[in-house]
Amino acid sequence: MIRHFIKTLLLFSGLITLGCSTPPIPPEVKLAEQQEHNLWKAEAYKYTPERYARYKDAVRKGRDDLIHEESKFSWFRNYRAVESEFKDILKDGNAILKEIQQAKDAKSRTTESQISIFENKISVLKELTSMINEGRLSRKDITMAEIILTEAKHLYEKGDYADAEKKIGDMTSYIKSAENALLPILIRYTDKNQIAKWKGWVEDTISESRTKGIYAVVVSKIERSLILYKNGVPFRIYRVGIGRNGSLYKLHAGDNATPEGRYHIVRKLPKSRYYRALLINYPNEEDKKIFNDSKRKGLIPSNTGIGGLIEIHGGGKDGMTYGCIAMENKHIEELYKIIATGTPVTIVGTMDYENRVSSTLKSL
Amino acid sequence: MKAVKYLLLGLIAAALLAGCGKQPTQDIDAAKAAVDTVAVDAEKFAPEDAKVIKDSLQAAMDEVKTQDGKTFKNYDKAKDMLTKVKSDADALKTAIPQKKEAAKNNAISAQDAAKTAAEEAKKLLAKAPKGKGSKADIEAMKADIKGVEESLGEVQKLIEGENYGEAINKANAAKEKADSITEQVKQAREKAGKK
Repeated sequence: MIRHFIKTLLLFSGLITLGCSTPPIPPEVKLAEQQEHNLWKAEAYKYTPERYARYKDAVRKGRDDLIHEESKFSWFRNYRAVESEFKDILKDGNAILKEIQQAKDAKSRTTESQISIFENKISVLKELTSMINEGRLSRKDITMAEIILTEAKHLYEKGDYADAEKKIGDMTSYIKSAENALLPILIRYTDKNQIAKWKGWVEDTISESRTKGIYAVVVSKIERSLILYKNGVPFRIYRVGIGRNGSLYKLHAGDNATPEGRYHIVRKLPKSRYYRALLINYPNEEDKKIFNDSKRKGLIPSNTGIGGLIEIHGGGKDGMTYGCIAMENKHIEELYKIIATGTPVTIVGTMDYENRVSSTLKSL
Repeated sequence: MKAVKYLLLGLIAAALLAGCGKQPTQDIDAAKAAVDTVAVDAEKFAPEDAKVIKDSLQAAMDEVKTQDGKTFKNYDKAKDMLTKVKSDADALKTAIPQKKEAAKNNAISAQDAAKTAAEEAKKLLAKAPKGKGSKADIEAMKADIKGVEESLGEVQKLIEGENYGEAINKANAAKEKADSITEQVKQAREKAGKK
């Protein structure tokens, strides 16, 4: 009787023990766990967010299926489906890792190229600001863009391409703002009709010098040059400076712009605040007409005058006058001696379709 | 005798079933609360630790779920796991302020260095040689310094928003720019014969 009882007890215990023993969980489960962590470290959430989300859902489902199997009596447990599921997960995870690497490589290339493009853009914008003496409107924005670009470069060097790209995106508003400040000033130097008009003035001036056998002065604002013609032939070339807003068209007093048009010397001033000076007849008839039209249209405040006292003077080719043309003292001395009252003076934005501004703008 | 046998079998079954327990809800709540408390800061200042803790909590919850489905439940392993999650989260919670403070100090140091560089550039620019061809450059460089100063304002905002990594990056970039302005002024001074 006791023997029979012991037998039953042993059988029961055996069955229970068997029921509690755990068959091995497929190793793929642990590997997938590690793989998921690696994917996270590789920033799958940044580079392949949708696929990574699907992968995580698959892992979750796999784990739920595993839990379901583990909840069964060991007699009924079967990990084959789970194993196969996790094998697929591992396969997909490896493919995602490859895709991340490819995405990183591609992003690295595009970021590098964007950095290079914007480096060039910033350099061109800076060059343009110095060409037209325009530091106030745009340089602050250019500098802020430059700082963000440096940040992007630091992130790129650390391999953080996604954030570097984001930084480049942050920078574009500053670039745009700088361009918006500069382009209205610069666009005149690429306008073919405007340049043709300037070229016409210059040709007429040279022709006058040739036919009358006189000296004539041609100032090109963007080239910062003053060419003295003798009998229609270039005789001397000087470097000059122009107004603080010299690249703009002079409309009224105090705008610090340098006028554009056909003028002549009306007075020679042997003693000037700026060594020697040659006063021109600004405003001429056309200047007056444009001034009055602009005033009528409300483009100029009603209490503003047209201005005057535009000179070619010494003091150095500083490039920051109130609208006059500035030269080195030794050059104005030379010019002062050569030319007489009545000498034609033509001031233009540029004489070339392919000028400094237009060619620099092309690389923007 | 038969009755004794069934009684014994019943006792054995009861003893086995006694091993089964109830879901450790207190441990679960405590572990979840500990993780929730630390999660936001940890994701910012110790993202890898945050990920490990969250994964550990999920593993513990999976273990709970596994036991939930069993006839003979045993939550001992789940309890151990939950206890570890809680203690790791608590340890991280203690460590985070130090990490945060260190990151903040680094950001402030970078900001100070950039400020000093901007001030130096500004001072030097005030003494820059004026004259031929330099007025326009000086005006441009003054605007450049304004750009640096405005960027430093953004650094301050980033520090206030506890974005210390980004603040350091911006401060370093601003410093580089300020240093380059200083270098330009120095070169101009040397050219003009001033030291």
